[in-house]
This record gives sequence, structure tokens and C-alpha cells, in this order.
Amino acid sequence: MKDKVLIANRGEIALRIIEACDQLKLDYVALYTKEDEESLHVRLAKKKYRISDYRDMNDILAVADEENCTAIHPGYGFLSENYRFARRVVKRERPLIWIGPSWEAIRDLGNKLYMKRVAHELGIPVIPGTIEPLYNEIDAEFKAEDLLEEAEAQGFKEISFLIKAVAGGGGMGIEEVKTLEEIRPVFRKIRAYAKRLFGEEGVIIEVKIPRFQHLEVQILGSKKGEYVHFGTRNCTIQSPFKQKRIELAPGFCSKYRYAFDPEKIEREIIEYSLKLAKHFNYDSVGTFEWLITPEGKYYLMEVNTRIQVENEISAKISFIKDKPVNLIREQIRVAMGDNLGYTQSDINFRGMSLEFRLIAEDTRRGFVPLSGTINRFQYTPQPWLTMRTHVPQDTPYTIPTQFDPNLALAIIYAENLEDLLQKSKIFLDDIKIEGQTPKGETLLTNIEFLRENLNFIYQFI
Amino acid sequence: MKIDFQQLTQMIQKLKANPYKIYPVKTPHTGKIIEFKVKEGMEVTGPRGKWLEKPGSPLFVLEREKNPKIISSNYNGVVQNIRFEFLNKFVEAFETVLEIKHALTQEEIISEILLSTLFVIKAPETARYIINPELAKQIEKEGLGKVTVKQGSELLTMTFMKRETPIHLRERGTFVIYRLYFKPFEIVPSNAPLIGLCPVEDLPYLERIIQRIKEEWPA
Repeated sequence: MKDKVLIANRGEIALRIIEACDQLKLDYVALYTKEDEESLHVRLAKKKYRISDYRDMNDILAVADEENCTAIHPGYGFLSENYRFARRVVKRERPLIWIGPSWEAIRDLGNKLYMKRVAHELGIPVIPGTIEPLYNEIDAEFKAEDLLEEAEAQGFKEISFLIKAVAGGGGMGIEEVKTLEEIRPVFRKIRAYAKRLFGEEGVIIEVKIPRFQHLEVQILGSKKGEYVHFGTRNCTIQSPFKQKRIELAPGFCSKYRYAFDPEKIEREIIEYSLKLAKHFNYDSVGTFEWLITPEGKYYLMEVNTRIQVENEISAKISFIKDKPVNLIREQIRVAMGDNLGYTQSDINFRGMSLEFRLIAEDTRRGFVPLSGTINRFQYTPQPWLTMRTHVPQDTPYTIPTQFDPNLALAIIYAENLEDLLQKSKIFLDDIKIEGQTPKGETLLTNIEFLRENLNFIYQFI
Repeated sequence: MKIDFQQLTQMIQKLKANPYKIYPVKTPHTGKIIEFKVKEGMEVTGPRGKWLEKPGSPLFVLEREKNPKIISSNYNGVVQNIRFEFLNKFVEAFETVLEIKHALTQEEIISEILLSTLFVIKAPETARYIINPELAKQIEKEGLGKVTVKQGSELLTMTFMKRETPIHLRERGTFVIYRLYFKPFEIVPSNAPLIGLCPVEDLPYLERIIQRIKEEWPA
């Protein structure tokens, strides 16, 4: 029987999954909620169903059965890293293919503390911090004192701590603390926040690495036990809430000076990422996130067991037997049980790629997300530019307020750094996003922020 | 506060001319409608009990993932415009299945008219809102029309684009929380009324207005 994919996501990722399905000649069904009726993913999908919520598992499965789908693609966010849903999808009476890693891998790698413990046992460097969740502020204070000593012994200076909700992520439920006195009140605050938002009170404390670059390794594993990587990305430029704004591939650039051998470090973090992936029989696309310090120390931060927003910049610089790559297509293919059909030596890297996340936000006032209507969304098509967006260009579009205010991804490809920076500037000068907030004010975007931060790429922040 | 009794009478007359509100009943999620429990013109009741713990009249049965769910009425009224073509069909979420023609009660008339009299806090954005938990507790204990708030009091929390923002009272003075116009965690469109406040010194006027409505509109 021919496979049919249910796309359990919205916006630009739904559009990219539609494109990958078309390339693989697979049927698909899209989903949407009533807030998303103007989105391009709804307009362009040939077959679609309105559901109550992108997180409603029963609605998703009911549509999958009604349409005789054989597989579910969860995209990113929503249910993509929910191992209970992944397990239910493959274990129900009418099982479906889960386009993502096994539910066991999602469970084990998604549990940051468990992942950290296993990584530590495998000899993979992780950020100094607590390995068990803390529930009690007195314990938290004791642990912080221990960490302080440990970090001082490791040569850290001006040490501060990050207090994080175990269930948090994407910059939610995380706060920095500079002195031991602040540990208890901030701990209480984060615990209360975590309980309210995630229903899980556990909190961890980590040493804050003061200056770093955020690198990540793109892995692909198949059900046959084959593994390849698609190099590294640099996602150091983020909002103060730790949400990525500019991403680059590859992760290091030979035009910049480092106090260490970047090729060696890149090789090592890729090796360690593959080691951990193999340990968990990882069988899909996955991202292993690393912090690199200016001295050349590196620490594994977390593993994202899903396709990531910025996957395409890795695809742009990778060529399999000289042919372009589509990682979403590869993800679907391996989920269906296909062999990779190539090995690491068939993958070549050429050129550089950059992604801008275009967002309606007030970057001068705490990056508050903005709602409103976009009346003009215009850019000049370029051979080196790929735009990923669900915002229509021919009609006004009202930004729904239930989701992230992301408007578009601009992916730029160039042969070298100079060329990349030049094309990035051409794009930022050219793109026009105009609109109004509900109060009738001009809708702000982060374009200026992106332009300013282009000066800081590949630097330690 | 000055009361324009002429305007008040006009409003009451207008509502008297068409004292109904039509509520569409929609599917809360996808599923198959396997049975209708009502016929056109049937009278149904909304939930009852101290905490509205007794569900309203059953309207139809929606089955999803092998679980049948009875969709019951949230209002008193008469059933109309049933879409029988949905029977044994898979329907999408938020599809209108039938309507309930609801006769407005005295209490609802008062709420409706007070919208133009009270100081109304409106939704700044299309978002989800919850009332400040402490205020909610007080209101539960003392009832509407008793709890007071001052300039700077935290009234609500707005959940908007995955962030929570508190909403404070900006107006000077002391106000009584008189009416709530939204349900917690439901999406409220921008500019829709959330809370109706009455300055403490105007309470006697408000009582007179309500008295007048009660005379015109017996329970």
C-alpha cells in the first residue's frame, strides 16, 4: 500500500513537509486550527482537516484513521518531542509510522538529566551542574555551594548559576543568579513557574558559561543502524530569551581566529554526538547542541530529537554524491525503513549558509512578541535565497496570537564568507514587511536587530 | 454618574422587542456524530447545580478514537436548525451542528445593559485570560458586587504568544468588581469586554438602574 503522511503541524514546517512528500510522491493530509485559516499551509494543502488544537492527540489520530494515513510527521514543537504520543502512534490497534526517532530515544534523550548522566558515563563532556532534579530550596543552596567549588577548581572565574526548570526549554523557565543568596528566592520562583506551565516542579542548577559559541551537530541515523552527519551549525546569535535569530553553517569559519584548532574541535564534537546517537540506537534526524568556550572547552548541552527549524542551512552546504540534500525528505525516507543509500564519504561540504528568523517583535522593549496585520510582505527572489514562510504575499495576513510570532525564514547560500555577508545585506535591505498592530501602530519586526547582529557572527558572546 | 433614564428605557424596549439570543452549538473536536438526542423545537436546559455540576440536556453524541462523548446544552432554550446531514459523518472541529434559541433572563438583561454603564476593562489582544487567583477566591467567597480593587491592582493575567502578562487597573479610585464577561482560558477577541467595574461612590446609582430594569423585566 502506498504511504500517506499526516502532517501534524502548522506554518512553514507544514509547507516544507508538503514539499518533501511531493518530491517522494507520497500522499499527505494537512491539519489546521481555526486561528490558522489564513495560513499558506492551509491554502496550499490539497487535503486538510480543521482540528481543535495542534496538541490534541485524539484529533490527530482520528483524522489519520478517517483518511487512512500510514504515517505521522510531527514537525517541530507541539507533539514532536512527546514520547507518549510517539509511543501511542506506533503501539495502537492501527499502528502508524512515526516520522522521527523511536519513542525510547525521545524519552531518554529528551530527559535532560538522564541524557547528561549517560553522556557523562560515556566520557562526553557536559556542563557542570546537578544531575538529579531538585525540589527543595535548601538542597538547591547546598548543591550550588558544591558547584561553586567544583567550578573554581576547573578554573572558572566570576561564576554565576543558571536555574532551570527540568521541563523547560526554548528559553522558558530559566533564570541567571549571580550570588548564593539569590538561589533560594529564584529557585522558588522557577519551581512555581514550572509547576504552573509544565506540571513538573523539578529544577536544576548549572554553572553559567560566561562567553561561548553555540554549535550543533546534525545527525541522521537509519533503522538499519547506519549513521551519517551533515556537519555543524553555529546558532550563537539569540534573543535574550535564548531563542535563535541567526544561524550559520558550518559551525566554525576559517576566516575567524580561534585560540584553539577549530577543525579538531568540530571533529571531536561530531564524534561524541555520533557516539551518543549510537548508544541510543538513534534512527532519525537529530541535533546535538554544544557550548564552545573561547579557550576551546566544549560541553554537550542537549539533544533535539526532531527536525529543527534551521535544518536547511546544513542541507544547503551538504552534497550527497554531488546532489543537493533535503533533510526532511531523508527523515521521511528512513522512517519508512529505507536504507540511506550512501555513506559519510559520499557527503561533501561546499560553501556557507545563513538563516535569518524574521519575527514581529519589539527588540528594543524586551523582545515582546507583537500581534497585528501584515499588509505588505515583499522580497526580490534570488537564486541564492530560499524563503520559508506561511505568510501570504497577495493578501493581508493577521498574525495568530496563540503561537510564536515567527513570520518567515530566509535561507541564504554563498560560496564564501564575504559573499555570504554581502548577500545577507542585500536581502535585509530588500525585504519589506509592513503592517499594523491592533492599536493602529506600525508593526515592528526584528530586521534592524538582524542587521546589527550580522557584525557579531562567529564571535564569542 | 448621571443616569439617562430615557436611554435606559429605550435599551429595555429594544431588548424586549427581541428578547432572544441564538447560540450555535459546535463540535468541540473532530469525530463522528453517531446519534442526535434532540429534535427541532425541543426545549433543552443548561447545566445546573451549585457548581453547575449537573450537565445540561444531551444534544448529540460525538465519537472519536472509540470514545463516545455526549455533547450537552450550555443554555436553556429551544433547539433549531439541526444539521441532520452530519449523522454518521466524520466532522471537523468547530463545525456548527445545531442552534439553541435562548430567551434572555432578567440577570442577562442586567448584564447586557450594564455593559454601557459600567467601567469596562476590554481585552487588549486576542488572547486567553484568567482573573487574578486571589481576586477569584475573594469573588467566590463574597460574590460579585462586593470585592473592591484600586489603581494598580492586578486584575488579570493575559496569555499571549506563549507569554504571560499581568493586567493592572490604571484608573484612579476604588472600584467594585460588578460583572465578569469572559470564561477563563477561553480565547477572547481583542476589544471584547472582560470585567465590568463600578466606582464605589456610584454604587447607589447602579442599584437604582438595576431596580428599574427589574421593574420593567420581571424575573
